[in-house]
Amino acid sequence: MKPSIILIAEHFQGRLMPVTFELMGFAGELRKLVQMDIRMILLADRPQRLAEEAAGAAEVDIAAVQVPGLSAYNGEAYLHILKGLLHGAGASYICVPHTSQGWDFAPGLAAALRAACITDVQAVEPDGERPCFVRALYGGKVAARVRPNTEPTVVTVRPGCFRPPARPISTGTVIVTKAAFPPGMMQAMRIRPPEAGDPGLSQARVVVAAGKGIGKKENLAMIHQLAELFSKAAVAGSRTVCDLGWLSSRLQVGLTGATVAPDLYIACGISGASQHVAGMRGSGFVVAVNTDRTAAIFNESDVCVVEDLTRFIPAFIKAAAAGGAPRAGGARGDCGTE
Amino acid sequence: MEILVCVKQVLESWDSVGIDIPGSRILIDPSASYRMNLFDEFAVEEALLIRERLPGTKVDVLSVGPGRAAMAARRAMGMGADRGIHIVAREETYTDPFVISSLIARYAEGRQYRLILTGVMAEDDLQGMVGPMTAQLLSLPCATAAVRERISEDRSAALVERELEGGFREELEVRLPALLTIQSGINRPRYPSLSNLLRAKGAQLESVQADALCPPENRQEVIRPALPEKSRAALFLEGTTEEKAKGLVAILQQAHLL
Repeated sequence: MKPSIILIAEHFQGRLMPVTFELMGFAGELRKLVQMDIRMILLADRPQRLAEEAAGAAEVDIAAVQVPGLSAYNGEAYLHILKGLLHGAGASYICVPHTSQGWDFAPGLAAALRAACITDVQAVEPDGERPCFVRALYGGKVAARVRPNTEPTVVTVRPGCFRPPARPISTGTVIVTKAAFPPGMMQAMRIRPPEAGDPGLSQARVVVAAGKGIGKKENLAMIHQLAELFSKAAVAGSRTVCDLGWLSSRLQVGLTGATVAPDLYIACGISGASQHVAGMRGSGFVVAVNTDRTAAIFNESDVCVVEDLTRFIPAFIKAAAAGGAPRAGGARGDCGTE
Repeated sequence: MEILVCVKQVLESWDSVGIDIPGSRILIDPSASYRMNLFDEFAVEEALLIRERLPGTKVDVLSVGPGRAAMAARRAMGMGADRGIHIVAREETYTDPFVISSLIARYAEGRQYRLILTGVMAEDDLQGMVGPMTAQLLSLPCATAAVRERISEDRSAALVERELEGGFREELEVRLPALLTIQSGINRPRYPSLSNLLRAKGAQLESVQADALCPPENRQEVIRPALPEKSRAALFLEGTTEEKAKGLVAILQQAHLL
């Protein structure tokens, strides 16, 4: 069987997820390095409509696998069915979105197929005649290239890194097949929607976020004081700070929390691990304050301040007041910068 | 009921990580200090909470790595784990997760663990693979990123809540034996108690040489590590604290952000 690039579609509550289209973009990049056909597999109890939508987005043939009873994601079912479909099927690269679905089944699938497994891939690059895959190590401080030494290779692709393909001239074909829902040990029961997010956070023009570097809960006071310098500002936190209960989890910015895109994002004592950055990457202007000059957050910042925030923030507040900065919501003072 | 918790020792700080000038190797400061992977602390704590709830439960903890990695197992015993195992492996800057999973699976095979817990990922490599791969090798059902779990009184199943994107949660039922990977925030890990620490210090860890477990070949390797490209301007302010503060005020005013 001809070696091929296989993509695994992701859908949730009846909708095809945007990462599915990004996966097609990733495959396009990969195909520049390896001459292989691209095919997509979609598992669902009613795959037809979703598969047609996917086929319309790129010249990719879709195997729409109808699995009676698979009305929601079930990690065990995905693993079992994909193992059966892909074993000996000539897949060289099996590409999965790096999401709560993808990282749930992809590593086990790789182990079952005796494949290499590279997760959270941000880019693909040539490595001689073959591709290698770029991912972060050490909290984002190092960009490593990982070279698979065996075939197939299972890759999970970081959301937001690859552009979906432009509208194709012709669409892929959809072939519907069936697979049985495997009897198993896991049963999906229900999805709980999130608590209402903090409206202040999503509408804020300026977000001041506190990370582990604030050291203690009491230092949140200066974070609030900093936010008060700006109009329409909100305080947020990294996962660590919210896990510790110092801030409500509704104020958590990151992959599993809120995604914000304010005009100004001030990251205080935040290391910049990818899970946090995923939630604020779209911000207009980013300032980071951290004592570690090599912190990953500085790679995502416009202005970098290597300082202890417990000293810097008070100094900034003082300088802002002295510089005649406009008070929140008020008229401009004579800043003298025009 | 027997629980196995897999813990990883990671660097205390990424300050200790560097890249050699040709960009071919990751360098770790030999005097660096280490600690337990944060996500694994949550896993150990969850196992201890289960033991408190379900009498007759025993918690084993296992760490894979060079000599220094035994410290992670001892730390877990300091928190209260009953027994520690150290699988002694060579010092490497990058180990194939499949190799680690194979070592754990070979150790655990036939040992009747009803539940295996790992952290959702390691803070150093952020891969999230060892848990699900180990489950596959042991033919155990696996659920990742658990933010809540409740084992039934008869120990036959667990009700698990998985964390999804955007604050959604997935509830599922998993029959035991099973493997769960644990997400941060599920509990508040306890500090080791003095008595447990003393007990852990003197305790005999079961020590197993990795080679004795016949690890497989690496399926992947890290090549050409580099410092990542900056996605933004990354202007570093210089001077005293006060000078930087004034500089930032000026920049923000210039950009009409202040």
